[in-house]
Amino acid sequence: MAKKRNKLEVIRDILKVINDKNGSIKPTHIMYKSNLSYQMMEEYLTELIEKDFIKQSKNKNGKTYSITEKGLEYLNKFKFILEFTDSFGLNF
Amino acid sequence: MLNLYLIPNWFFGIDVVFELAFAVVSLIVSLYAFKIYKLSNQTQSKLFGFSFLFFSISYFIQSFMNFAIISKLNENVCVALKFQSIDALNTLGIYAHILFFTLGLATLTYMTLRTNNKKLHSLIIVIAIFFILFSANKIYSFYFLSSIFLIYIVSHYFLNYLENKQTKTLLVLIAFIFLLFGNIHFMFAVNHILFYILAHFLELISYSLILINLLLILKNGKKTK
Repeated sequence: MAKKRNKLEVIRDILKVINDKNGSIKPTHIMYKSNLSYQMMEEYLTELIEKDFIKQSKNKNGKTYSITEKGLEYLNKFKFILEFTDSFGLNF
Repeated sequence: MLNLYLIPNWFFGIDVVFELAFAVVSLIVSLYAFKIYKLSNQTQSKLFGFSFLFFSISYFIQSFMNFAIISKLNENVCVALKFQSIDALNTLGIYAHILFFTLGLATLTYMTLRTNNKKLHSLIIVIAIFFILFSANKIYSFYFLSSIFLIYIVSHYFLNYLENKQTKTLLVLIAFIFLLFGNIHFMFAVNHILFYILAHFLELISYSLILINLLLILKNGKKTK
């Protein structure tokens, strides 16, 4: 059985999904690709917008999300973030 | 009442260097924690950063005060700051060291409680400070309270190691155990010369392990998949 993801890993998965789609993706695609329930996905997306990791855009096809510079930096430095938080017991 | 330690002559200066090293390591850990906070906006990282920043300030003060005593610099500082006596300056230094170290431990202990309650955080700090302030033997009370905090912190890192069995989590657990042992030794250092020296060496092991862990993280963090 796969180990349960911590919050930092879930954020990484969401940002990776958004980044992999060349920066613009619909909510349902995020939900399926990052393996989250709709409610959890909405909560995470709200938090990520507040923290400026992603941007939301609205057009005739609905809402789409794109990654910001801060979100990209999180992805690039994720291994370091995870190593630090795991070893110093900050992941809860 | 504040008691002073009995320190052998040969250890004069060595303790200053040790405390300076502890201050530098704590500062480095703090800066990296704040960097993690900037990247991830994770509250625990911010609290961890502040804890080690307080530790760092505390050790810098302790190192400076001990250096001032040895070099008799405190006489000049006393005159410059218009203190009535050297004792007043030394007492202020000791209180400042106690205050910042207590703030650090209280913040770190609060972080390990896995809650988001600022009132609880402020309550822990207020109780800790007033407990020390109104005790007859402040130094002893400080180290006693610090040991209590460190027991909670060690238990958090023990659980962290059980959840995540890696070399790094084990290093951090052992580091905080040594810090706890060092702290307990300081409690008895007022009357026993050896305990003061042992306490410093135990803390040296602790901060060395923390530094090694940080270096391992930096090394592994740079590796790409």
